[in-house]
Amino acid sequence: MIPEIGHIFLISSLVLSLVGGLGPFIFNKELPIRKIALLMCLLVFGSFFTLIYSFVVDDFSVAYVAQNSNINLPIYYKFAATWGAHEGSLILWILSMNIWLLAFISFDKNRNTNFSNLVFGVCSLVIFSFLLFTVFTSNPFERILPIPPLNGADLNPSLQDFAFTVHPPLLYFGYSGLLLPFAISISAMLSGQSNKDWASSSRPWTLLACSFLTVGIGLGSWWAYYELGWGGWWFWDPVENAAFVPWLLAVALVHSLIVTENRNLFVNWSLLLSIFAFAASLLGTFLVRSGILTSVHAFALDPERGLFILGIFSFFVLGGLAIFAFKNSTENKTSFYSLNSKEFGLLLNNVLLVVLAVSILFGTLYPLIYEAYTGGKQISVGAPYFEFIIFPFSILLGLLQGIALYLSWGSTKSFNFLTKLILESLSIFLLTLVLLFVLFDELIPASFFTIFIFSWLIVGSLLINFSFKSFNKYLDFLNRRIGVLLSHTGMALLVLGVGVVSSYSNEIELILDTGEKIEFLNKDVELLDIKDINGPNFISKTANIKVLDSGRTFNLQTEKRTYFPSGQVTTEAAIDTGIFRDFYISMGDNFKGDSWSFKLQSKPFIRWIWLGALLITLGTFISSINILRRKS
Amino acid sequence: MKRILNLMPLVVFGILVVVLYSFLTQENEQLESVLVDQSVPEFKLPALENPNNILSKSSVNKLPALINVWATWCIACRVEHPFLMQLKNKSTLTVYGLNYKDDRKKALDLLENEGNPFEFSIFDQQGKLAIDLGVYGAPETFFVDKEGIIRERHVGALTQKVWKEKFEKFLNEDNDV
Amino acid sequence: MFKKFFSLMLITIIYSLVSANEPKVIYPFEDSVHEERFLSLLNELRCPKCQGSNLAGSNAPIANDLKREVYRLVKSGRTEEEVKTYLIDRYGNFIVYDPPFRPDTYALWLGPLFIFLITLSIILVILLTRFSNSKGNQ
Repeated sequence: MIPEIGHIFLISSLVLSLVGGLGPFIFNKELPIRKIALLMCLLVFGSFFTLIYSFVVDDFSVAYVAQNSNINLPIYYKFAATWGAHEGSLILWILSMNIWLLAFISFDKNRNTNFSNLVFGVCSLVIFSFLLFTVFTSNPFERILPIPPLNGADLNPSLQDFAFTVHPPLLYFGYSGLLLPFAISISAMLSGQSNKDWASSSRPWTLLACSFLTVGIGLGSWWAYYELGWGGWWFWDPVENAAFVPWLLAVALVHSLIVTENRNLFVNWSLLLSIFAFAASLLGTFLVRSGILTSVHAFALDPERGLFILGIFSFFVLGGLAIFAFKNSTENKTSFYSLNSKEFGLLLNNVLLVVLAVSILFGTLYPLIYEAYTGGKQISVGAPYFEFIIFPFSILLGLLQGIALYLSWGSTKSFNFLTKLILESLSIFLLTLVLLFVLFDELIPASFFTIFIFSWLIVGSLLINFSFKSFNKYLDFLNRRIGVLLSHTGMALLVLGVGVVSSYSNEIELILDTGEKIEFLNKDVELLDIKDINGPNFISKTANIKVLDSGRTFNLQTEKRTYFPSGQVTTEAAIDTGIFRDFYISMGDNFKGDSWSFKLQSKPFIRWIWLGALLITLGTFISSINILRRKS
Repeated sequence: MKRILNLMPLVVFGILVVVLYSFLTQENEQLESVLVDQSVPEFKLPALENPNNILSKSSVNKLPALINVWATWCIACRVEHPFLMQLKNKSTLTVYGLNYKDDRKKALDLLENEGNPFEFSIFDQQGKLAIDLGVYGAPETFFVDKEGIIRERHVGALTQKVWKEKFEKFLNEDNDV
Repeated sequence: MFKKFFSLMLITIIYSLVSANEPKVIYPFEDSVHEERFLSLLNELRCPKCQGSNLAGSNAPIANDLKREVYRLVKSGRTEEEVKTYLIDRYGNFIVYDPPFRPDTYALWLGPLFIFLITLSIILVILLTRFSNSKGNQ
């Protein structure tokens, strides 16, 4: 009965979103849009809640529950299993679009103008199309009747993990947040809203979406690092690229909206970019959920779903671009900027980010293009390619970001700051090298470039060399610009993390007997014992390892788990975390008796990557909240 | 000029949609097989039935033949087993087995209980010949023609349907010659 | 259970390669150049059976077989290119994550540059027309 109620909620919200979506285009004004948005949100939430309920009470007559849960699954994971696969995560996605819409309407000061009605209409139409997709191709409430299975197939073991339970909701929230800039762009073109107005109403939401995307991607990377057991933090997997491309475009949009709002420039570009960013998030959905990118070995291609998402994609993106093509241009043609202006800097920033995004998308799609073109021949495009591509872009973007905050609108009067900037970044560069040498006893030239970029970014983000009358003035200045400061500094830390971890990592694969002691990177590593441990839904071989590292002794446990419903084996890595290095041990295969193979890795500065991502998240979040507060 | 420029994004995305649509309709359920049209690779491996009997490429001499990669741990291999038995009884085609990363005793037990469709099985515990054949896993089936050339490869269970679609034609072709 | 047998085989190989006192490194190298080549190859070769992971990141039986084969080849002094060609001859281009620069991958490797140039020229056109417009208006 409960699942049917959820289904009814879903269908009611479908009807309501259609009414809401067509309303503004038919009745024009005076729709109670806030009430409709609230009701829609509640209905979708109700439907999501009943799905959670079905999971928690182990209602295996619901096919989706039976496929993704199990009686023995710990209750916390039963809860999170709701978004563990396609159908449930789709509902979560729709729910977050509804929350964004509700938030927009609640904060919107000029309620019931033609513009906000249109935003509401466009959002509702998108929500409607996603609900239609859910109800017709991916209904999570479908029952297995008359004989429901006694137990479920279980949640994919590698998803039974804390980071996984929070990473998808945040990421979906970011993805779906790009709906608002899109809807605002379309409505601005249809209503002829002034450029300053629509850009300033779009900016906080773009920033917020960016914030959620960053934290979602960051958590995903952290999860992959410790859960997959290989110590990698980014794999250039198509699924990761599908999230990275919208992120790049969202970052570009955040920057171009600044110009549109302040200078009435880049208007067409911001309008387009809003559409592109949303298109990229839809495209990511399409690539991941139709299965075309991962289908090389998983033969479960679902063309029906793919076709549906492609339909949604074409309708909204092509529709938006058609509106763009035939609208009247409102670009300010008189204001002029020179090559040394902030405008031009931001233009370069946008060009680099967008070309990078398109290139990554191209590399991701290339295997498919290749296969179509050669008639079935296969090719893999992976990390080496993407690293090769991203390198020149990050250098240029880094150099640009370092000077970005010194530039002025129109034209920058003096470039005197450059000498100071160079000198100060050189000193930070040398300091960092000294630190690295003290820590690791060696310097690796391959990392010098990224470390220099880090120093350049740190100086450029904190503007340490700006002349202020007093330290208090400087603090005040920082305080006012706390958002941009945090996110730019975050980028610097991220760059340092990436640079160091990719050059200074060490690894060794070896076999250890119980009681055996070896030395690795000045650490004594001893395998104490290997025990059989039973978890709620798995059995595990747990290796207890004692490490003596420069006077500090600690124990680490790495596990090989076999989850019993599926028989799937996962590796639980043991990590001794630290600000300067992680020591990472993962268990491999069993050899004779109690000897097992282990992989020992040292991962210096890897935490800085996520620390950087966290700062970017915070910075964009604070900026967004500040703008919203100022407005209301 | 301005109009044309404004139309450009629409055109580009229109093309993108068409390309994406073509991906959806593309048939890509098969893996690329590099070894098709090449000769069976050289190998030196023991026979499953007798560890002292070292087999090589010249042992695969009753052509045309199928080489079937199988193992006791592979579930899909059980599915195709009856069909292989049927092939052995009905057809003149020889079937050679490549016992892949398996336990010798278990493999022999299985053949004793469920019948042995193979002329002989090559015991490839470390997957050496399998790597030379570009094998991903079990089951896989290769068709070797009269000249010792691999003509077709199938990944997954060999069923009547797959046989009709992919392999039968080679048998007829060989008879014609 | 085939895993156990495979492990036994491997362990005999390993025991024959290392002395008792040193750590029993699974893939020992005397030459550090070889070792680096081996590690970088493991990162650039794709595990055929797994979904999007390289040999370094997989414990699948076939990944272990391939690692052993790569180890054998590198140890015998083959260059990175030779090892890749060896595997491409058996598994196709699919096996390498780093596609070679060849006529059929020119588009892949030059694509980003092409995209960059196109974008630049579009912007140049826009900026130039704007420049001449504003000159004209003045």
